Amino acid sequence: MNYPFWDIPHIGSGWVIGMIAIFHVMISQFAVGGGLYLPMAERKALKMSNAEERADWLKQLASHSKFFLVLTAVFGTVSGVGIWFAIGLTHPEATSTLIHNFVFGWAMEWVFFMVELTTIAVYYYTWDRIDPKLHLKVGWVYAGASIATLVIINGILSFMLTPGDTWIGVAGTGHEASKFWNAFFNPTYWPSLFLRSCVCASLAGIWALITASRIDGDKQPALKTSMVKWSVKWLVPSFVAMPFLMIWYYSMVPASQRALLTLGIDTINSGTFSVVTRMALIIIVTSATIVGVAYFLAYRNPTEFNLSHALSVLLLALMATGAGEYSREMLRKPFVIGRWMYSNGVRVPSVSKVNANGYLAESNWVWNGSPSGYSRGEAIFRGECGSCHTLDGYRPLRQLLAGRDRTNIENFIVMLHENKADSPYRRFMPPMVGTKQDVADLAEFLNAQVNPPAPNSTKAVLTAQK
Amino acid sequence: MTSKTATIYDWVDERLGLSELAAFARHKTVPVHAQSFWYYWGGISLFLFLVQCFTGVLLLVYFRPGAESYESVRQITFVMHFGWLIRSAHAWSANLMMFSILVHMFSVFFMKAYRKPREFGWLSGMALLGLASVFGFSGYLLPMDELSYFATKVGLEIPAAIPLIGPTIANMLRGGPDVSEFTVQRFFALHVVVLPALFLPLLGFHLWLVQKHGNAAPPSEEAKPLSARKTMPFMPNFLRKDLAMWLISLNILALLASVFPWALGKAFDPLAPAPTGIHPEWYFMSPFEMLKLLGAFLPGAVGEIAGILLFTIGIVLWVLIPFYDSTSASGKRGRAAHYFGIVAVALLLATTAIGYWTIR
Repeated sequence: MNYPFWDIPHIGSGWVIGMIAIFHVMISQFAVGGGLYLPMAERKALKMSNAEERADWLKQLASHSKFFLVLTAVFGTVSGVGIWFAIGLTHPEATSTLIHNFVFGWAMEWVFFMVELTTIAVYYYTWDRIDPKLHLKVGWVYAGASIATLVIINGILSFMLTPGDTWIGVAGTGHEASKFWNAFFNPTYWPSLFLRSCVCASLAGIWALITASRIDGDKQPALKTSMVKWSVKWLVPSFVAMPFLMIWYYSMVPASQRALLTLGIDTINSGTFSVVTRMALIIIVTSATIVGVAYFLAYRNPTEFNLSHALSVLLLALMATGAGEYSREMLRKPFVIGRWMYSNGVRVPSVSKVNANGYLAESNWVWNGSPSGYSRGEAIFRGECGSCHTLDGYRPLRQLLAGRDRTNIENFIVMLHENKADSPYRRFMPPMVGTKQDVADLAEFLNAQVNPPAPNSTKAVLTAQK
Repeated sequence: MTSKTATIYDWVDERLGLSELAAFARHKTVPVHAQSFWYYWGGISLFLFLVQCFTGVLLLVYFRPGAESYESVRQITFVMHFGWLIRSAHAWSANLMMFSILVHMFSVFFMKAYRKPREFGWLSGMALLGLASVFGFSGYLLPMDELSYFATKVGLEIPAAIPLIGPTIANMLRGGPDVSEFTVQRFFALHVVVLPALFLPLLGFHLWLVQKHGNAAPPSEEAKPLSARKTMPFMPNFLRKDLAMWLISLNILALLASVFPWALGKAFDPLAPAPTGIHPEWYFMSPFEMLKLLGAFLPGAVGEIAGILLFTIGIVLWVLIPFYDSTSASGKRGRAAHYFGIVAVALLLATTAIGYWTIR
């Protein structure tokens, strides 16, 4: 509540992060997996006894490394910085907490990132220009640096779901960074790291299939066959290990979050009630079948494997990645940082203070003292609801509250405000914080949206006045 | 093969003739050319049909036709574990199957794969499409929610408009003058007994014809000398790709069923006014809209009769295409048939779009 709110109508600010992040993850995890793929493939090629085969492989790898360089170092970098901008604007409170806690983690991340960028450029531009053994070493340095970026960012991402008791013990004292390692190696760190490593390996194979599909199967059948088959094998570790890793991850997630995953087994009630379950189903079906698609299309028909086939496999991977990242985000509900900060940026320990003083009194940016209940309600809507809801687009309140009158809407908000232990909403929604007046103001604003006044009546004030 | 397996294989082979089948499959080839992609749509339709059989049987375990149909679908959707998923997969695969059958039909049409000796393939395919539409129409009513009730009510007005026999047919389908629990009972019998009994043998016949005559190459490909044509073995190359397509279809189905689970509206109330925006399923939207547009020019019974007549002539012309566009060379008649296809696609797309535009 120390920062201004970024109001994105229709799609909501969360989806701005989502849209950038899903593509970024596809590419950044390729950067890690592909970083290992390149030196391993080069090492394999250098060991080949047949000179012609070796030359063909190296030529193909040089071409793949160009694709790799452009995709990861240009699009991956730009989208990564885009996420920084987006999370800073969408979730300033959460970003601030992460920076205060992990500033050295991020500094390390940036160092490794710079090493990555440098070495991949050197790697690409020195094919046939330096000694092959040295060239391979550059590839290994890149692989090491890119794995290090995953090792670090995984600590921060998994922290947001499970910060761990030790960090929660010092949270809010100003000494959070003293428990850096506890926060970093949090309960879901290891299962998450192994899961992501498997995904990275799969993506390395899947992206390599894109370039391998471009080899002319009639002119170079041997090269295409060996390249395609070797790339498909990169999908095998995740296919074998994924079920076990998912069970491990699931067992480390707090029970309250696990409950979110099972909510959708017997119902399709709207919104978050069942979305995590539904997304998990997509992950399971896609992960279980993608290897089959790659096996039938690529492994068993390598010479006929074309770009459309490769793109189909890539799109399936995008589906699985998108569903995976979405579920991971949703699994944190109702928090953005587990047990510490609600998804709308309100810190858990400050709830009673805000309830006593009022939401707007505790906000530095949204309120200037306009007397209209409607305007105050709108400001509260932006602050408390806007992280997850829009009025008429994603999770639209006009639709979700349709059919309720003013009293009914207020009763609903009171229920969210009381946040009783048996309320089904408390599993994934933060409590509505604030005074009785705040509840009434929010109800007034929402009622005007759901049940708009007749056109000839007095026009309500439409925006929070500056 | 170990000696034991070989003995078992020989025993079965002697009685079922597996070797002949294997030899047939080994020699069968599929043409490879720029339009080969369209060959997969028949297989995709078949896969989606199998999904419907599987999910349909599961739904049958809990569905209770008649007065309790809405309540039983409500239980499937909101109480049974993963009941919503099975129902969503059933509904989505039905829609996807209609889509893939239409794509399959138009690709067969434009590749002129209905010509000699494949006339029966075309005719049986058209009959399968007709049956699939009735599957869709009968299945849509079964949940008996507000939308399905009123859409069926409106839908049954089309056969009712047929002169003389129309009202009797409509009454027979409804089980009375109005859509009621008796209609659900009848549609249920149609959906799970009568239609499968007709569909399955016809499907077997259709598939047998495909195996017998193989995939047809388009005229542009046939014009090439034999040495310039490329083929791939059906077994295992094409089959593997077919299986990959099935897996991709399964993923698309899983995505749709999970992200957009099939909703259940309010229970129907025959006394309530029809909710706004009642419209048929998308695959019936085009004929519905064409009749509506014609009705605007020719109001009253004349318009209805003219519409049905025009529509019947169009369908008859479409079904009988192998008999008046039968030569393999791309002559004048061949081009006329091609334009007929383009007009049909354009009309279908345009009227469907207008239909959805006007219900907004």
